[in-house]
Parts: sequence; structure tokens; C-alpha cells
Amino acid sequence: MAAPSSSPGPSGGPSGPSGEPGRSLKQLVLGRKDIQDLSDTEQELPPDLMTINMGPSHPAMHGTVRIVLTVDGERIVNSDVQPGYLHRCFEKESEHATYTQVFPYTDRLNYVSPMINNCGWAMAVEKLMGLTDHLPKRAEYVRVIVSEMSRMTDHLTCIGASAMELGAFTAFLYFLKCREWLYELLEKVSGARLTHSYVRIGGVAKDLPEGFHADLTLCLDQIAKVMVEVEAMLSNNKIFRDRMAGIGAMTKEDAIATGCVGPIARAAGVDYDVRKDYPYSVYPELEFDVPVGTTGDCYDRYLVRLEELKQCIRILRQCLVQIPDGPVMIDDPRVALPAKQATYNTIESMIRHFKHIMDGIKVPAGETYAFVEGGNGELGFYIVADGTGRPYKAYVRSPSFVHLSTASQLIHGHFIADVVPIFGMINMIGGECDK
Amino acid sequence: MTDAANPVPAAPSDSVTLTIDGMPVTVKKGTNVLEAARALGIDISAFCYHPGLPVVAQCRQCLVSVEKNPKLQPSCQQTCGDGMVVHTTDPQSTLARKQQLEFTLLNHPIDCPICDKAGECTLQRLYFEHDNADSRVDVPKVHKAKVVDLGPTVVLDQERCILCSRCIRTCDEVAGEHQLEFAHRGDHEVLTTAPGAQLDNPYSLNTVDVCPVGALTSKDFRFTMRAWELEATPSVCNGCATGCNIEIHHKNGRAWRLVPRHNPDVNKYWMCDEGRFTYHPLREHRLAAATVDGLPAGWDRAIRAAADHLMPLLLAGASSGPQVGPQAVGVVLSAEYSNEDNFALGKLARAWGTSHVYVAGKPEVPARADGRLRVADVNANTQGVAHITEALGLAAVPVSELAPEVRTLIMLGTELPGIDAGRLRELDLIAISTHERGPVATAKIALPAAAWAEAGGTVTNAKNMVQRMHAAFAPPGQALPAWEAIVRLAQATSVGTSNKISFAHVREVFTDMTQTVTAWRTLTWTRDVRPLALRFAGSRG
Repeated sequence: MAAPSSSPGPSGGPSGPSGEPGRSLKQLVLGRKDIQDLSDTEQELPPDLMTINMGPSHPAMHGTVRIVLTVDGERIVNSDVQPGYLHRCFEKESEHATYTQVFPYTDRLNYVSPMINNCGWAMAVEKLMGLTDHLPKRAEYVRVIVSEMSRMTDHLTCIGASAMELGAFTAFLYFLKCREWLYELLEKVSGARLTHSYVRIGGVAKDLPEGFHADLTLCLDQIAKVMVEVEAMLSNNKIFRDRMAGIGAMTKEDAIATGCVGPIARAAGVDYDVRKDYPYSVYPELEFDVPVGTTGDCYDRYLVRLEELKQCIRILRQCLVQIPDGPVMIDDPRVALPAKQATYNTIESMIRHFKHIMDGIKVPAGETYAFVEGGNGELGFYIVADGTGRPYKAYVRSPSFVHLSTASQLIHGHFIADVVPIFGMINMIGGECDK
Repeated sequence: MTDAANPVPAAPSDSVTLTIDGMPVTVKKGTNVLEAARALGIDISAFCYHPGLPVVAQCRQCLVSVEKNPKLQPSCQQTCGDGMVVHTTDPQSTLARKQQLEFTLLNHPIDCPICDKAGECTLQRLYFEHDNADSRVDVPKVHKAKVVDLGPTVVLDQERCILCSRCIRTCDEVAGEHQLEFAHRGDHEVLTTAPGAQLDNPYSLNTVDVCPVGALTSKDFRFTMRAWELEATPSVCNGCATGCNIEIHHKNGRAWRLVPRHNPDVNKYWMCDEGRFTYHPLREHRLAAATVDGLPAGWDRAIRAAADHLMPLLLAGASSGPQVGPQAVGVVLSAEYSNEDNFALGKLARAWGTSHVYVAGKPEVPARADGRLRVADVNANTQGVAHITEALGLAAVPVSELAPEVRTLIMLGTELPGIDAGRLRELDLIAISTHERGPVATAKIALPAAAWAEAGGTVTNAKNMVQRMHAAFAPPGQALPAWEAIVRLAQATSVGTSNKISFAHVREVFTDMTQTVTAWRTLTWTRDVRPLALRFAGSRG
């Protein structure tokens, strides 16, 4: 340490050797001034708009979506919503899979309600093959049961997660517990907790498990109880209402013009539910109401979903009473796999099994569009068939994609914090939006 | 050949017009109803009918109803008549075909999971398209021999056989030898050879191709690969000068089998057994990296070493003596390599100014020639090399007439017939070769080349037909198409600006070649064919 003491170090002392008496050591090191060092004019906030990123990886961005916000202080003046981070090539992949092999792909569209996606795909293929209305009654009922259970898991997740993002963690835990009960039941039915791949063209993969009726009844009773509690916690909670009411409102006209469907459109006053307006499966035999909102804001979307949960329970209870006995798969060798016993013991069934698996179900050439009421609204599949065992082209009309396109308009003029409930209530599911 | 675009209708005496399922169709006189229906896109199911074989109408699977005829007619045997009205989808004939299928399946074993034909089986396809009904059989199936060794190439499963006799007729027609026959009757009828005799004709594996089920399987292919896993690339057999059109069935970067592709002018529906096995050498003794003095080297170093060796010779004037000038360099073209490879090397020889150009190839096998598909010349491209050397003005002679002053030899391929070991030791060899054997193993510099299945190109068969091959999979290691190696060598040894040889794609070599060779001036380069996955081709049946 023999440094000469006569010359100061390069960084200098407080006054420094550089001849700038105003610059402190801190300024030299940090390259900026502290707020107390600023003059009065400099202390004012800059008047320019600021651009900030929300997402693609952000706790409130359900799935992976990026919003580039232009803000004036806390106020959003412009936004650019950019989906596509979860692109799974559903439509292209489907062209390389047999019609049956597409089911696992549909599971991953709206992965919170996969059974409904399964049913939608199956219905589209059945429509092409002219099998609609020829399915065994029990298969239709099983499809409705698992669909409505899936709708419940969808709405429970949506409400629970949105409440949690607004600070109501209890409601989240309560509803996720309910969802888990349903998932456990669906796992008993299909063998998988989340990606069920349970529906088949011409019916469902297997019958409901033993004791399903009792399990579901118990499950619905428990959920009904929990819903009373959660409703009490949220619906008239001042914080929750302040954050939800009047936020992200959409008029009925806008909802129609932008193609919104499902709970979002119904909250805005559009009385459209595929189950009522284009009845399919056994929905005509079931009694239920379609809740419609008035203001189209986040709070109405919450109320609509809550009421739909109750209607789901109502439908499920009716189904449990009305479901007939019988087969759950259509008796048509063109689509139904032969029984395992026959496959191993007769050449006819062996060939049929082989061809179904390797070449796929032969769907006559043509094109069709079939749609169901998904968790987020009308979920449609458009298929072009060329007579082989694989779709020539598959297209999915995913409600999340349409809804996300309105997000930019909805958050306009709100605070940054309002993005969270608006996005929560749009309930964008990345797997479905980016398809 | 009928010309569809020709507006002038065929003379009335040559053609007949009939109606099939309400659609009128005009065909040549003598055509059968089954072929006429296929022209309309109606595929009448059939087992025993094969367009390349005589009609026997014994499977009864192609029954159709013909108006004014009380009995159902086998469409393969029914000759088209003027004004004939045929129905293929009416209840009567549909039921007959369904019942026939049920009958055919009566004693069929439950072998699909272990059967080589599964996925390309006519029986599977027809059952799935037609009947799809459950079995009604409640008695045990008749059992027959499962593994009958028919000969050196084919194994027979008599239980799977549906007795269509396609294989019998194939032996008769293609090989001209009646080696297969049915024995016994009814339930117990089996396919067999004469006692003590074998199915050993050189076209025996065609029986496996035509077998509509998995009764006849190739010893070479069975249990190696499932048919639906394969990809098909059209190519031309390089086994001899016939140039049979083939499909290379490949997967995972290697060929698994070769099957004939229909070409009425060359091989019809057939090819010989020897040709089918020519994919094996693609995986044996391959030269995968460039070598210099027997040690592996990168492309750049090998090309530089070749240029360092060649340049003093090429730059030396003619006065320097015969053994140091360009005349000390000899170039060997190969009848085993494609037109493009030979053209590039021929052009390089001309640019270098050497007058020593030779042609090499495998020696003839006179015993092969049988007046059918097999010929004595076992090189794929003898005619192509002859055309190219003539067009380039190169006086090519067989390599056995190697001039004594040649000290350095640039050779394509592995064959140097007629050169003894002593002469070989005197030579500095620069080999461009697919394989590392023969003289290539001791070459001073060896450059690895892609084989016929790995590079696109054309070969010219004995009938002077230039036929296109498509690359099926990637060559091993660092191997490049031979023409590309030649271009690299040319660029490293270019003496002046006038003889630059520069090609970026095999199409450019082809275009330059067709400009040069007068007989090929009208040829055009078609688009490259992408491999077709057989699972997407549906059942080939």
C-alpha cells in the first residue's frame, strides 16, 4: 500500500478534481440525482406517457399473454394485447392425427373444462358421419353430466382465481377445494384428473364407475354449501364490489358486434346460450335457466357465473334421476371399437380394431361446423373431411380468442390495477386462445 | 397410349361406351369392367385380379350386376360391351361381395399384430371398407402349416393364404417357371411347391408383392419394420442396365426394402430379387469421411491435398515430359454412377486438358441375361456414360487400356477392372467413391460420395431411357453427392478462368448436360419428390 498520498484518486473527493463543484460522489457513481437534489421544475412528474409490459409471465395473466400498456400515470390510455405465446398448433396437429387421436389435443384447449371440448369435437365428427341423434341415450346423458361438471370446474376456477387476485384468498381456497372434489370424480370416471380424453366418436370410452351417483350427489351437496359461504363472502363485500362493479363494462351492442359469447355476452344482456338456442344432446329434456345480466361489467360477469354454477347443479341432479341404463357406445362398426374379447378371438374384430387404430375412423368427405356451450361460451369445431381417417382441415372457434380481442377496449381508461379483475373475468385460457 | 387431350374421338371400332353406376365411360375394346370402373374412380374390390396377370376370376370378390344378365358377373372377367349398364352398388352385388368377404375370412388366422402385411393388406382394407360386421363363426378354424420354407427368399403361411393364385400366375408370367401350385381341395386347399422343389426363380419376391394378404413374406424384410412406419421415395434400381422403376421404402435414414413401381415401358409391375437386395450395400463398407494417405481428413484438407498434388502436373508444359504434364493425369468415369456425376467429371477432364479418359464398371455377368428383366450389364449407367463422353468429345476407352504414362488417376467408384496390383501400386489414386473397398482402400486421397439412394440424379438404361432418381435419405458421415465433390476439386484446381466448373445444384448439372448431349436436349428436370409416409397413403393393398 505505497500509493502516493499527494494526488487524489480518480473518483475524487466530495468536491472532486474535475472542476464540477455541484456533483457529489453519489452523482458520479450513480449517474443521477436524488429527489431532494432536484430543482422544483425537475421534481414534477414527467408529462410523457409511459409504456409498460404486463406479462407474458405475470401472475394475473391467466395463461401466457402479453399486454403492452401505455399509461398516463395510473390511467391506461392505450394497450396492445399480444397472444400467441402458447401456440400449440392444435389445428395443424389435427391434420396428422386420426379423428380419435384428436381428443387428447382438445383436452388441452380449455384445459379447465376439457370434457366440453371432447364433446364438441365428437359432435362435429358425428355430424359429418350422420350419427347425431343416433347415439344411445345413456351416452348422451353421460356426456351432459361430465360436461356440466366441467363447466362447474371452469366457473369455480374463474371466480376463485379472480377473487384471490383481488385479495380474497379464502374464497379461492374454498372454490379450489370444490373444484378438486369434481376433479377427483372426473378422475374416477376417466382415469385422468385434468386431461380426460374420455369422450369417443359415437359415445364415451367407458361407463360411469360404480357408486358414481352417490359420489356426485354428495359432491353437489357439499359444493352447494360452500357456494353459500363464498357468496356471502364476496357478493356484498365492499372491497370486492368496488373492484368489480362498473369495471370493464360492455354494452349489449358491443358484445354482439365483437362476437362475444358465453357468460361475458350474457352479463351484457345477450340472452344466448347454445344449450337453449341450438339445443343439442339431451339438453331439451333438462330444465334450467340462463342467467342474463344488465350492466355487462365485471360484477355482472361474476354474478352470471355464480348463477350458472347453481344451474349446473340443477342440471346434474336432474341427469342423475333421468339417466337410463344401456350402452354408452353406439352399435355401429364404422366407429365403435370391437370388444376386447372379440378383438383377440375373431379375425373380423381384429381387423376392425387394427384399422380403427392405424387408419382411423373413415369419415365421409364433406365439411361441417358443430358447436357446444363451452365454459366460456360457444365452442365450435369446423372440420373438412376428405374421406380418409384424418381431418383434411380442422378449425376451432375458441371463445377465449374472441373475448381476448375485446380486452384492449375493456381496459381502456381504467387503472392498471383494474386489468386484473377484467382479465380474470374475461377468463382467457391460453390453450384455447392460442389453439 | 391414348391421348386424353386429343379432341378427335377414337375410331368407333376401337372403343366401347358403357354405363357404370349411372356414369358413362368410353374404353378401348377388350377392356374389362373392373378396369373401366377404375377409370371412373370406382374401386371394385378384388383379390385375384392383377392388371399385370392373366384373369382367372376365382376370388369372386369383384361381382357386379349387369343389366339384362340374371347372374352376377365377375367384373375382372366381364369384357366391356357397347351400351352395357353395370351396377356396383346395388343391393344384390353389394351383398354378394360382403358374403364373399365373410367367406374369405372364415378360416383366416388372427395374425394382424404379427403379420408383415398388416397396414398394407388388401383383406384388411376390403373388410374395413365393405363389411365391418362381426364374426358369425362358431366352429374352430381350420389350421394349416404356419411356416413353410418355400425357397431361399420366401416363407409361406398357409393359414393366411386366401387362395387367389396371384403368386402362381406371377411365377408363370414373370419368371416363366411354374413353381407354385394348389394342392388338396375345399377347406384343406393349400399353396405349395412340387414335392422337393423350391420357389427359387430370380423373380420370386414379386409373389410377396402381389400377395393380397401376408401369406407370402420376404425373408429379407419380414419382422424388420412395420409397413405403416415406412416412407416411400420413387427411384430407379441401380442393380443393372434395365433400370427398373422402384420405390425405396425407408425410415430412420436407411432403406428397409425396395419394391417395384409400375412403368409399362421398362419393368411393368415387376423387378428381380437381386435388384431388391441392392439396398444392402448402401450400409456396407461405406466411405464416410475423406481420407488422405489412409487417414481421415476433413473435406477442405483432402481437397487441398488433391490440388497440391495435381496443380504441378496440370501447370507443367507439354515439354516437361509425358510423366509430369497433364498427360500424366488420367480420369476414370464410372458406369455405376449417375449421369450428373459422370458429366461433371467428364467436364473436369476436358478442362484439365488430359486425353486419358477411361470408363470403368463392374464386369458383365452373361449368366444373368434371361430375355426378361435381367441383363448381363450390371452397371446402371453404361449408356449414359457413353452419351456423355461422346458429347464432350472425350475419347473414352475401357480402363484396362490404361496408358503407361498415366501416373495419377482420378477415379469415380471402386472398380478398376483389368489393372493388376503392380500397376496399381505405381498410381497415385484420387478416388471419389461411395464405398471403401478395392482400389479405394489404398487410394492416396479418397473423397466420400453419396450413393444412388441418397442423392438426386438420373441414370440412362440399356434402352437409352434417362430416368430420374430422388434422394430418399441423407448420406452417411461427410459424404456429398459425387458431382459436388467434383465441383470442389474443380474449383481447387482451376487453371484459368475459361474452364471454371461451378454448379450449385444437381439440377444445374442436369441442365448443362442436356444442353451438351444432343439426344437429351428435350429432357426437363421435374420437381423433387418428398418422401410419402405410407401411413398417410392409406392401405396400399
